[in-house]
Amino acid sequence: MTAPPRFAVVGHPNKGKSSIVATLAQNDGIAIALEPGTTRDSHHYPLSVDGHVLYELIDTPGFQRPRKVLAWLQAHSASASDRADTVRAFVTQHRGDPRFHDECELLTPILDGAGILYVVDGAVPYSPEQEAEMEILRWTGRPSLALINRIGEGDHLADWRAALGQYFQIVRDFDAVRAPFDTHLSLLRGFGQLAPDWEAPLEEAVTHLRDQRRHRQHRALGLIAEALADMLTHAESARFNEHDNRDALEHDLARRWRDRQRRREQTLRRDVEALYRHRHLHRREQQLDWDGGHDLFSDQARRAWGVSRTYLATAGFGAGALGGAGIDALAAGHSLGTGALIGGVLGAAGSLYYGGKYADKLGALKLLAPLAGGGRQAEFGPVRDPQFGYVVLGRALEHWFQVSHRNHAGRDPLTLDHGDRHWLEQLPRPDRQRLQKALQNPPRHQSDGKRRQALEQAVENAGAAFLVWRETPSD
Amino acid sequence: MSSSPLRLLLDFDAQYRRDRDQTPAFLHRRDRRLALVREQAGATPPSLAEWLHAVGDGRHHTAPLRHWRRLNGGLVLAGGVLGVLTMLGLLYVTGPARINVTLFLALVLVQLLLAVLTAGQSLAGWRPWGALLDRSDPDQPAPALRPLQPQLAGRAAQAGGLAFAITALLTLLAQILVRDLAFGWSTTLQTSAPAYHGLVNALAWPWRGWLPAAVPDLDLVAQSRYFRLQNGQPADPALLGGWWPFLVMTWLCYVVLPRLVLLMLAQAHLRHRARRLLRDHPGVAALRERFATPWVDSGDETPAGAPLATPSPGPAPEPPADTGTLIRWAGADDRDRLRPRLGEARVLDAGGAASLEQDRDTLNRADGGRPVVILVRAWEPPTGDLADFLDDARAHWGAATPILLQPLATDDRGLAPWQRFVARRQDPALQLCPPLPADQEAAAP
Repeated sequence: MTAPPRFAVVGHPNKGKSSIVATLAQNDGIAIALEPGTTRDSHHYPLSVDGHVLYELIDTPGFQRPRKVLAWLQAHSASASDRADTVRAFVTQHRGDPRFHDECELLTPILDGAGILYVVDGAVPYSPEQEAEMEILRWTGRPSLALINRIGEGDHLADWRAALGQYFQIVRDFDAVRAPFDTHLSLLRGFGQLAPDWEAPLEEAVTHLRDQRRHRQHRALGLIAEALADMLTHAESARFNEHDNRDALEHDLARRWRDRQRRREQTLRRDVEALYRHRHLHRREQQLDWDGGHDLFSDQARRAWGVSRTYLATAGFGAGALGGAGIDALAAGHSLGTGALIGGVLGAAGSLYYGGKYADKLGALKLLAPLAGGGRQAEFGPVRDPQFGYVVLGRALEHWFQVSHRNHAGRDPLTLDHGDRHWLEQLPRPDRQRLQKALQNPPRHQSDGKRRQALEQAVENAGAAFLVWRETPSD
Repeated sequence: MSSSPLRLLLDFDAQYRRDRDQTPAFLHRRDRRLALVREQAGATPPSLAEWLHAVGDGRHHTAPLRHWRRLNGGLVLAGGVLGVLTMLGLLYVTGPARINVTLFLALVLVQLLLAVLTAGQSLAGWRPWGALLDRSDPDQPAPALRPLQPQLAGRAAQAGGLAFAITALLTLLAQILVRDLAFGWSTTLQTSAPAYHGLVNALAWPWRGWLPAAVPDLDLVAQSRYFRLQNGQPADPALLGGWWPFLVMTWLCYVVLPRLVLLMLAQAHLRHRARRLLRDHPGVAALRERFATPWVDSGDETPAGAPLATPSPGPAPEPPADTGTLIRWAGADDRDRLRPRLGEARVLDAGGAASLEQDRDTLNRADGGRPVVILVRAWEPPTGDLADFLDDARAHWGAATPILLQPLATDDRGLAPWQRFVARRQDPALQLCPPLPADQEAAAP
């Protein structure tokens, strides 16, 4: 079996080598530890599928003394044919020399057969000072690709392309922080073009990474559906004794209910982040802009993710009609659609009644069966306001979108972003009705398979519509 | 390995809940590996029982069933005792009184109705005694068991009913053996002996073909009728005992056997429901997906190094006015902002695109007797090249010459590596100046 292709990510210190590895290896831990020039040893990041390695990225330290290395090479080379051997001789001679530790670390994998990914910063102007590094790499004779990363705001891509083209087989632009997922895959395909033997494993890797992303999307939407069902059906309960103050108990239970819903939303976020391997994101969670003034129960959240009363009435009518149509079907059509009509009217009326001012109709205290030992069971919840489901869903989809489209080199905190058009516009009318019905009838327990599947399907459709909405530029 | 669907459901649900604390990556890797091992052996992915055997802790998680076991035992015991007492009460007579067969048949009918009603509530998922049972259970039922409560309650009720039926039958047989029982029939309704005989004949339909001795004939029916206000003795007292085979068979066929069949049905229904719950369990679909989806590992679990500690910066001096030389390192250039402050300082270049000979030339031309300012770009971390240059400069100018690193910075973020660099060199005459704001054009070589 041939060895999998390996790629050494090399370059001047602080040009984004680790950012590129962080994004391609989906490891935000690399970005967290990213202090300019602190990479002293090579780190290997293999991509394996079921234990079979398809390729390997090697994060290396930056060049520290390229002019001295080049001077040594030039002094010890007799002709162009011995250049690779001369580089090897340099590494052999200086392996224990602390002054050339970094150069030996970065050159060793290249001499062992790795391809070269040379990283430069396209935001600063081209400088001939890096030519010594490029010359050393050219001396190794290994397949090479130059990546123009953009760390700042400047744009000097054309100059860099022209200069790098003289030293490297392929030159590509790649923004490690902002490049979309398809660009990651395209870059990997570019790696495969460096050598004939590398094309097949890289192509296989691209296929698996694409499948993995699809799988993650499905799982993330499943997690959202699970959290929605949990939050829509949750109730807080306590014992209500004869002499207790009913208002105080209601206030206390309502507070507990809200706190629990907030915690559940946080758990969902952590689950989605873990799914996408953003394990260090929660450390910066306190900086999340959307948690400051955008509490789950705030009017801002309602305005951003709730729906209008007209929408509620329309979707409620549709959802009610779906249920009523079942009665018509049982009557073999003899009811002439009366069931659908009555169901629709009831659905619309219910949605209108409970869809009033947000947070006022979230729930109310209910006194239930007497308890052993005296008193009665008091319960707050499940939620009655149909807006709540839309708010939770909208926020969850927005968070999922942000996380799933965030590269692992990203270091800025997540920020809530929503346009001036509502995402539900992208959802076809029958899907809106199904969503409304699923939100009105969430699964009460985990074995409620039919309702759970209906909710999962509704969230899956909503996720697809949300993606279209977020990826479509506003007019 | 779990064989009962109910036990399998509980074990699976317990493992599913434990797995919720694991990362998705771990679960995927673990389960995919199991599927691959099977695949390599030419087998299909493991069944749920096999999977539990491989990943579980080897224990059965049947604790949630303890409450139901206790309830089952209690109902069987209560049913058994009640069966004995009921039959003794039914057969209790004093003096020449007869045991009314009509009353016996009514009890049979009630038992049959109760058995059917219990089966109906179990099938419909109704729990008429749910609240009562919940109060008797201080622990919340396991989530996986919650939807099975009607079926579990139905099975327990049928088991209690069967115990009632069996002990009542045994009591009846014992009473027949040890006592002289006289049966008769009586009713307020205007009915004739042939009509009553028709009723018992119809009831005896299941066994009349193969056990005619247990079917009362018309003569027995006619002679065993009695009225409460009639004091006459029956023509043949021995004849009245002839009802017992019919009564035993009636109890057996209409009480014991239905209870037994319905108990078996309740058990089968419970297993069927448990199998369906397992099939619809949210963890099963996820598990099958993990079996079928390749595990893609992009090296994301390789631990990253910890951030380095940055020393707190000491007092930073401004470049002094008596600076003798300004060296632009690796093309750093402040254009005209710093030089006017340095008076007549000589401006030289080193590092970057300059050759090593040019660096040496710069060291020779610099005024080592006065402070030297080296202009650097803060956003480019210090390299070994600069460290070598500073070493050479020290050797060239002596240990006393103040060397000031003047960073050009767009913000404070790039300064930490420079602070560490200066601290690491342990050179009292080497200092870092406050950053000088730079624009991108100024940074150009």
